[in-house]
Amino acid sequence: MADVVLKVEDIHKSYGKLEVLKGIFFELKRGETKVIAGPSGAGKSTLLRCINLLTKPDKGRVWLENVELTDPKVNINKLRARIGFVFQHFNLFMHLTAIENVMIGPIKVLKLPKEEARRRAEEALLRVHITEDLWNKYPAQLSGGQQQRVAIARALAMNPVIILYDEPTSALDPELVGEVLQVMKELATQKVTSLVVTHEIGFAISVADELMFMYGGKIIEKGPPREVVYNPKHEATKKFFANIARLYGKQGA
Amino acid sequence: MPVQASVIAYIPYMLDGLKMTFLLVGGGLGIGFLIGVPIAIGQVYGPKELKAALDAYVWFFRGTPLLVLLFLFYWGVFPALGLNLNAVLTSALVLGMRSGAYQSQIFRGAITSVPEGQYMAARSLGMGKWQAVLSIIVPQALRIAIPGWSNEYAIILKDSAICFVLGVMEMLNRTRYVMISTGEALLPFIFAGITYIFLTYGGVKVFDIIYERYKIPGLLVRG
Amino acid sequence: MYTEFWPDFLSRLPFGIMVTLEILSITIPVSIGYGILLGSARVYGNAFIRLLAAGLVVTFRGFPLVVTLFLLFYGLPEMGVKLSPFWTAVTAFILCSGAYQSEYVRGAIRSLEVGQIEAARSLGMTRLQELIHIVLPQAIPRALPGISNEIIYQIKYSSLAYIVGVNEIFGITTSINSIYFRPIETFLTAAAIYLVMTTAAHFGFKALEGHMSIPGLEIEIR
Repeated sequence: MADVVLKVEDIHKSYGKLEVLKGIFFELKRGETKVIAGPSGAGKSTLLRCINLLTKPDKGRVWLENVELTDPKVNINKLRARIGFVFQHFNLFMHLTAIENVMIGPIKVLKLPKEEARRRAEEALLRVHITEDLWNKYPAQLSGGQQQRVAIARALAMNPVIILYDEPTSALDPELVGEVLQVMKELATQKVTSLVVTHEIGFAISVADELMFMYGGKIIEKGPPREVVYNPKHEATKKFFANIARLYGKQGA
Repeated sequence: MPVQASVIAYIPYMLDGLKMTFLLVGGGLGIGFLIGVPIAIGQVYGPKELKAALDAYVWFFRGTPLLVLLFLFYWGVFPALGLNLNAVLTSALVLGMRSGAYQSQIFRGAITSVPEGQYMAARSLGMGKWQAVLSIIVPQALRIAIPGWSNEYAIILKDSAICFVLGVMEMLNRTRYVMISTGEALLPFIFAGITYIFLTYGGVKVFDIIYERYKIPGLLVRG
Repeated sequence: MYTEFWPDFLSRLPFGIMVTLEILSITIPVSIGYGILLGSARVYGNAFIRLLAAGLVVTFRGFPLVVTLFLLFYGLPEMGVKLSPFWTAVTAFILCSGAYQSEYVRGAIRSLEVGQIEAARSLGMTRLQELIHIVLPQAIPRALPGISNEIIYQIKYSSLAYIVGVNEIFGITTSINSIYFRPIETFLTAAAIYLVMTTAAHFGFKALEGHMSIPGLEIEIR
């Protein structure tokens, strides 16, 4: 219990009449990687956004290392700086070069001197295998896979307690998915605490400590990834993984 | 002395009025920028009451003819405020206040065309609302707005001629004086008109160069 | 004097409003028609017509409206053409506004899909038939936001008729101000009248745009 990094308790969220999240509970220990899977519309992305409060949950509490984020008195910007977020569509800052994208958080938010920020940025970029020749390119001059790796570096450079990934590969062309997954796998093995929303079952099986299956706004099944994928208990889970297997073949499994 | 020759002799006198024209255009665009950018930011990100006040400002200055504004401020508002401003200063300020209303709309369009994800990503790094707006949204919007400003320059250049009604000796007013002293109208006004056309294209060219200089691959552009 | 100001002002203002409306009732429809003609001519005309139309657009978009007004008012008589102040203003407004509007029409024509034109030609239509029956009915709704913007400009710039001596709203306002010297009241009243007109036009055009939009053709050109 001592080393619980993230704790989520009874999160609810509705958009008008549509109830997207109906009470979510889970926690992550330091160094763990957990994967959330589920059909689209299950509320996965909303859940991630509720964790760093990019979306405000209607009810429920979230703790980051014993500090309650959902406490209105807390400085949410300070806490968000410690939660990395990787977006489906990368959202790299279009007016900044690759390295500037990674430097801007340390400079503006952590108030680090420029040289220090640059050192951190270079280190982060090398960690995601973005080589020096790409550092001064603008996002539009990079491939989708390169952009997403820069986005991961942007999160890493903040020295986050945890990284949240929101379907990081689903906007990529199939041939670019591998390079991003490779980086994510490496980070997971280096014990970077990660919470990943993804359909990449191969990734879940090879590195995740737990697979949580979301359906209709709830986590209806969780356990070791291999277990959940191959011996699903719930009807919806069975159907989902059967479809995935049909779509992607037995790739990664 | 043939009439044409006497008009040609006045050309340097007319062109000398361009200094005043540039002063009005530069002043108007500059003041308009200083007013327009904060208005746009307030309209998009400000609280409700502020938005309503800014909307009213924009509505008033966009919906009222320049001629009315010039007279209202020169004879009415500025003296009532105890400001004793000459015609040049009044003209530049009025052009600026009005351009601010137009520029705010250009800039607002630019802000809203920056994708939502840019703001979200900035907030996810822990930036506050205003930090995200100022260091991520505004620098992109400034670039996106350049073509709009180029257009605004062309408008304000032509509108600066209206300031002759307050007696400002810009190019058009000097052209009128040439007409009065030579008795020729056609030639001086055609010459003035062509000069304005050249200035329009020249200025737009300058904005194109600025745009080329600051453009970033892939950043959304509106025409 | 104090008691006379408002009755005097308010009794003369309607005359000015009538003159302004009279100007606009001519310039709005004629400038729209002229703008459509000019825009079409720049795409569909032969080489000579295209050049002529381009010349008109470059000239009257490039000249400040005040220059055009003075040119017509003081310059044309040198060529033996003398227009009254009213018709000087009307002509200048049409030349200027039409030139601006033609650019929106031209842009809208250019934005149509090639397939539309190929289909018209495959039916055996002449170029003129193609323009009138296929191209313009699609291009005009697309050009409408730009055209309506120009009309709103026209309402405001109609005040410039005053500088060639037309006694429209602004002319009346300045002459009243020169008698009573009540600049804030007079010019704010003028501003209010123009604001009513521009605001009404704004909402009128918004309604019209909704009414004229064709499903699938809603793309707004900027």
